[in-house]
Amino acid sequence: MIELKNLVKHFGDLVAVNDLSLTIGRGEFFAVLGPNAAGKTTTIKILTGLIKPTSGSASVCGFDVQEQPLEVRRRLSYVPDFPFLYDKLTPWEFLRFTGQLFRMDEEAIQRSTRELIPRFNLESYLRQPIESLSHGTRQRIAIVSALMHDPEVFVLDEPMVGLDPHHTRVVKDVLKERSLRGMTIFLSTHQLSIAEEMADRIGIIHHGRLIAVGTGEQLRQQSGTDGALEKSFLSLTAQEANFVEEKAALKDRAPEITIA
Amino acid sequence: MSSAASTAKIPSPLRLLLQVNLLQMWRKFRTANDQSSLLVGTLIVFLTGYTVLASALFYRALHFAGRFPGLGEMLIERMIYLLFSFLFLLLLFSNVVIGYTNLFRNKETAFLITLPISAQDIFRWKFLESTLLASWAFLLLIAPLLGAYGLEQGAPWHFYLLAPVLIALFIVLPAVFGCWIAITIARHLDRRLFQLLAVFVVLLAFLGLRAYWKPEVLDDENMESRVISVLDRLLTKTRFSQFPFLPSYWLSSGVLHWVEGALSAAIFFVLVLLSNVAFFGLLGFTGTGRFFYSAISATHSRSHVLAQWKWFRNWTSRRRQFHYRAGPMEWFLGLVPRLEPDTRAVLLKDMRVFWRDTAQWGQTLVLFALIAVYVSNLRHFTQQLANPFWVHLCSYMNLAACSLNLATLTTRFVFPQFSLEGKRLWIVGLAPLGLVRVVRVKLMLAVVASLIVTLPLIWFSCHMLKLPLEQKIYFAGAVIVMTFTLNSLAIGLGALYPNLKEDQPSKIVTGFGGTFCLVLSFLYIVGSVLLLAFSSPWGGMDFVSPNFKVLGWVGFAGLSVALGWLPYRWGLRRVATFEH
Ligand SMILES: Nc1ncnc2c1ncn2[C@@H]1O[C@H](COP(=O)(O)OP(=O)(O)OP(=O)(O)O)[C@@H](O)[C@H]1O
Ligand SMILES: [Mg+2]
Repeated sequence: MIELKNLVKHFGDLVAVNDLSLTIGRGEFFAVLGPNAAGKTTTIKILTGLIKPTSGSASVCGFDVQEQPLEVRRRLSYVPDFPFLYDKLTPWEFLRFTGQLFRMDEEAIQRSTRELIPRFNLESYLRQPIESLSHGTRQRIAIVSALMHDPEVFVLDEPMVGLDPHHTRVVKDVLKERSLRGMTIFLSTHQLSIAEEMADRIGIIHHGRLIAVGTGEQLRQQSGTDGALEKSFLSLTAQEANFVEEKAALKDRAPEITIA
Repeated sequence: MSSAASTAKIPSPLRLLLQVNLLQMWRKFRTANDQSSLLVGTLIVFLTGYTVLASALFYRALHFAGRFPGLGEMLIERMIYLLFSFLFLLLLFSNVVIGYTNLFRNKETAFLITLPISAQDIFRWKFLESTLLASWAFLLLIAPLLGAYGLEQGAPWHFYLLAPVLIALFIVLPAVFGCWIAITIARHLDRRLFQLLAVFVVLLAFLGLRAYWKPEVLDDENMESRVISVLDRLLTKTRFSQFPFLPSYWLSSGVLHWVEGALSAAIFFVLVLLSNVAFFGLLGFTGTGRFFYSAISATHSRSHVLAQWKWFRNWTSRRRQFHYRAGPMEWFLGLVPRLEPDTRAVLLKDMRVFWRDTAQWGQTLVLFALIAVYVSNLRHFTQQLANPFWVHLCSYMNLAACSLNLATLTTRFVFPQFSLEGKRLWIVGLAPLGLVRVVRVKLMLAVVASLIVTLPLIWFSCHMLKLPLEQKIYFAGAVIVMTFTLNSLAIGLGALYPNLKEDQPSKIVTGFGGTFCLVLSFLYIVGSVLLLAFSSPWGGMDFVSPNFKVLGWVGFAGLSVALGWLPYRWGLRRVATFEH
C-alpha cells in the first residue's frame, strides 16, 4: 500500500531523510519511532505530497505521490502534528466541508459521522466556533474529519499529543478496528507503549535513516536487550550515535578509508 | 462510495472553498461589529468622508489643469494616462507581495494540498483571495478619480455604468501577472543565478530610472517661458504612459473616448482590454496549477534562500557551534546606562525578532528608499521656487509626508506588538517584569527607533530647503511630538484591540484594530499639519492673528494628548487587568 524507495531529502546542507526504503502492506499498522529531529515529520510530508523528495520516490496504493497526486489524495488521509482548522466555522460545518471535498454526499456524511461523533464525544461542541475549543478537542475534530471518508491509508503525525487518557484510548481502539478492517495505518509517535501495543511492525528512524524495522520482538533481538521496548529503543539509537561518531573520528584519523 | 447521481449534487471544490471562506469572513465581520460598533461606525464615516473629499480634490485638480490656456485638455488627458499607469505598477507590486504571502506562507494552502483538490483548484481560490486583498484599497483611489473626471467633463449617465466594469477588468491583469511573478519567485528564489539576475535587474531599473528622470537645471530667467519649457519637458518625459501595450493605456483611452462621446473608439479599447483579460485570465485559471504545486513544494523544503552559497553555508556551520558571546546588539544595549536586565532582555528580543524577519525588512527598506529619493530631489525642486510661500508649503508637506510614512510603519510594526506578545503570554506576561512594563518598554523602543529615522529626515529635508536654524528646530520639535503620539496611539490601540489568534503580524494589521489605527493616525497627521501650518510664524501667514495662532498650537497639543496619551493610558489600564 505504501512504498518508499530510497527517499532522500536535503534541507541545504542538512540531510533530513537519508536513503530511506520501506514497504507497508495492506491493512498493516506501522509505527515510526525516533528521537526529535530524526526526520519522521519530513518523511510523512514527502509521503503526503507536501514536499518533493530530493531523490527517490514514494507511492501509495500503487500511485506515485508526485506523478498522480490526486489519485493518492483521494485514498489517503493525513493528520499533521498541528492540524489546520477554519477558526470561525463550527466543527459540524468543518466536517461537512471536508466530507464534501472527498465527494461524499449528504447521506454518506450523516452515516459516517453518526458513528464517529459520539465515540469522540464531540456532540456538545458541534455548534460552537472552533476557535473557542481546547487543543485536545481540535485534535479530535481533525481525526474525525480524516476518518470520515474511510481512507485506504491513514497517516498520523503524533496524534496523541494533547489527548486525555480516555480519548487516547478511543483513538487507539478506533485505529485498531479500522486496521483490522483493512485500513493501512502509518503513525509516528514518541510513546513507545502505543507502538508496542498497537503496531504490527515498528520502524526506528535516526538521523534520517531507518536503522531498524520489525515487530517489538525482533527489535529486542536486534538490539540484544530484553524487557521493555524502551531499552531496545535507547540502545539502538545509542549504537547508531556511537557508530556515527566513530565513523567521523575514523575519517579524521584515516581519510583514505571509506565506510558504508 | 455513493452513486453518480448523488455525487453530482456535491458542490465543486472551488465552490466549497468560496462558501467556507465567505462564511468565515462574514462571521469575522459580525464579531468585530459586536465587539465595537463604534469602530465600525468610525470606519464607515471615514470611508464616506474620504470618498467625498478625494472626489472633490480630484475635481479641483482636474478643473485647475483644464483652465491652463491652450494646453488644458492635453494636460488632463496626460494626467489620466499617467495616473493609471502608476496605478497599474502599484497594483502589480501589491499583487506580487500579497500573492506571495497568501500563496506560499499560508497554513490553509498547506492543509488543502493534502486533500483531494487539484493544485489548480487551490490556486484558483487563493488567486481570487489575493486579488481581492491586493486590490481593494486601490478602489478607493480609482473610484473617486473616475467619478471626478466624469463630473468635470460632464460625462453622459452611461459612463458611470461603464466605469465599474472597466475597473473590474483593469484589476484582473496585474493580478494574473503578479501571481505569476510571485510563483516564479517562490520557485527559484534560492537559485544563485536567479538571485544574481534579480539584483542585476533591480540595479539596472534603478539606474535607468535615474538617468531618465535626471532633472536639468534651468538657467532661463524668464518666468513665462520657464513654465512653458517645464511643461514641455514634463509632457515629453511622461509620454511612456501612452505606450499602446500598457493595459492602463487601454483603460485610459476607453475612458477618455467614452467621455468625449466617441463611442466606437471607446468600445474598441474596452474590447482590447476585455480580450486580454479573457486570454490571461483563462491562462491563469487553467494552466498555473502545476507551477504552483512545484513552487509550494520548493518553499516548504527550503532551509534558507541563501543556502546555495558556499560562504553562507560555511557561516552557518560556524554558527552551529554554540559558544556564548554577546552579539553586537547586546553589546550596544549594554552601553545604555541604568537599564534593568529584564527590560534589556525584552528590548533585545524585540530587536532580534525584527532584524531576523526579512519580510518586514523588505517593506521598510522599500519605503525608506522612496523617501530618500524624494528628499534628495528636493534640492532641484527648490531651485525653481523663488517665493517663500511655496518653500514653506513644501516644508509642511515634508512634515506630513514624513509622518504619514511613520504612520504606516507604526501601524504595520508597532500596532501588532502587543498581540504578538499576548500570544506568547506565558513567557513575558508571566515573568516578574509584568505586562505593563513590557508595554512601556515597547513604546520606548518604538519611539527611539522612529526618532532615529524621522529626526534626521526632517532635518535633512529642512536643510535641502535651506531653512534657517530656528525653523529647523521648530520642525524637529513638531516631528518629535508627532512621533510620540503616533507610537503611543499604535501601542495603545494594539493593547485595546488585540488579536491573539493570528501569529502573522501582517494579518493582525489588516483586522479592524489595525485599520482603525491607520485611520486615526492619518486624521491626526492631517489635523496637526493643518493646525501647525495655519499658525506658522513664518512664510506669509501674517493674515492669521496671533491669538488664533496660539489657538492652533493649543489645538495641536490637545490633539496629540487625545490621540496619543489617552489611548496609551487606556491600553495600559486594559493590559493591567488582562485576562488571557
Ligand atoms: N523546512 C525546513 N527547513 C530546514 N530544515 C528543516 C525543515 N523542516 C525540517 N527541517 C529539519 O529536518 C530535520 C528533521 O525534522 P523532522 O521535523 O522531520 O523531525 P521529527 O523526527 O519529526 O522530529 P520531532 O520528533 O521533534 O517531531 C530537523 O533537523 C529539522 O530541523
Ligand atoms: Mg515531528
